[in-house]
Amino acid sequence: MKKLLMVCVLLAPHTPAYAEDTNISGSVQTRCLITTDTNGVFGNPLPSKLSTLAADGGVAPVVRYDVTLADAYLAKITTPTTFSSSPTLTDSVTWTGSTAVSKTSDAGMSVYETAKVTYGSTTQFDLTIAGSTWFSSEAAAVYGVSKSFSGGNYTAIVLAECIAK
Amino acid sequence: MRAVLLLALLPFCNAVAHEMTPTYPTFMKSFMAGVSVTTLNLFNKRKDVSYYEIGVFTDEWEPVPFVSQYTIIPMKYLDTLSFDVYVSNLSLSSVEYICSVSQVQAGATVSSKICSRIK
Repeated sequence: MKKLLMVCVLLAPHTPAYAEDTNISGSVQTRCLITTDTNGVFGNPLPSKLSTLAADGGVAPVVRYDVTLADAYLAKITTPTTFSSSPTLTDSVTWTGSTAVSKTSDAGMSVYETAKVTYGSTTQFDLTIAGSTWFSSEAAAVYGVSKSFSGGNYTAIVLAECIAK
Repeated sequence: MRAVLLLALLPFCNAVAHEMTPTYPTFMKSFMAGVSVTTLNLFNKRKDVSYYEIGVFTDEWEPVPFVSQYTIIPMKYLDTLSFDVYVSNLSLSSVEYICSVSQVQAGATVSSKICSRIK
């Protein structure tokens, strides 16, 4: 009986176990990611003025920059100088705007605010430390000389740039 | 009737993010004589943007002639795309930046621009 069992075991088909490697690949690279953190909204403190200032009933938009390599990028944020869409306007619109650091992931990033460069409606920050930085922009538009904005939707574009150094 | 003024400035939309790598691309010889090529990758994490425009610039931000599969790249949300940029060897020494700029449509109010630099 034992011999019979032995023969059966030896003659039984052997199915080898198959194994296959499935690779997951990726690479870690220097990168800059621009993300919106907070939507902005215009307040209308005066009939002739649209503003994102909190005191004017607006909400300041906030953009976040994430950089993985220190001292490799410049952040440039340009506040609007025209409406991208609006009702027909018959007079000129005067724009003012500014951008400032609102929050950082590293205490050393406090130098960004003191070292920023402003030209026209563009503010440039030198991102010398890796990590995340939040920038808050203010923008205001005044229509003519105390002219009232007509009813309708007003939209303006903020340009957030990340330029490799 | 009092005119109703609808304030709808939305400079920023939710989850605005786009990414382009590598940060420092390098040009190599292409299959065409007198032309060099580099490859970049674009990732779209913006629901409100479907197109990105590619540009090549000098250090003075003057445009440099180039050829690519796309000048304006159509990209769906969470899409990743690799594209080649071909530049004549005659212009190669003046190339400093390769940039991608989001093409904002009606309703979107943030334009994001990322530039890689040639080293």
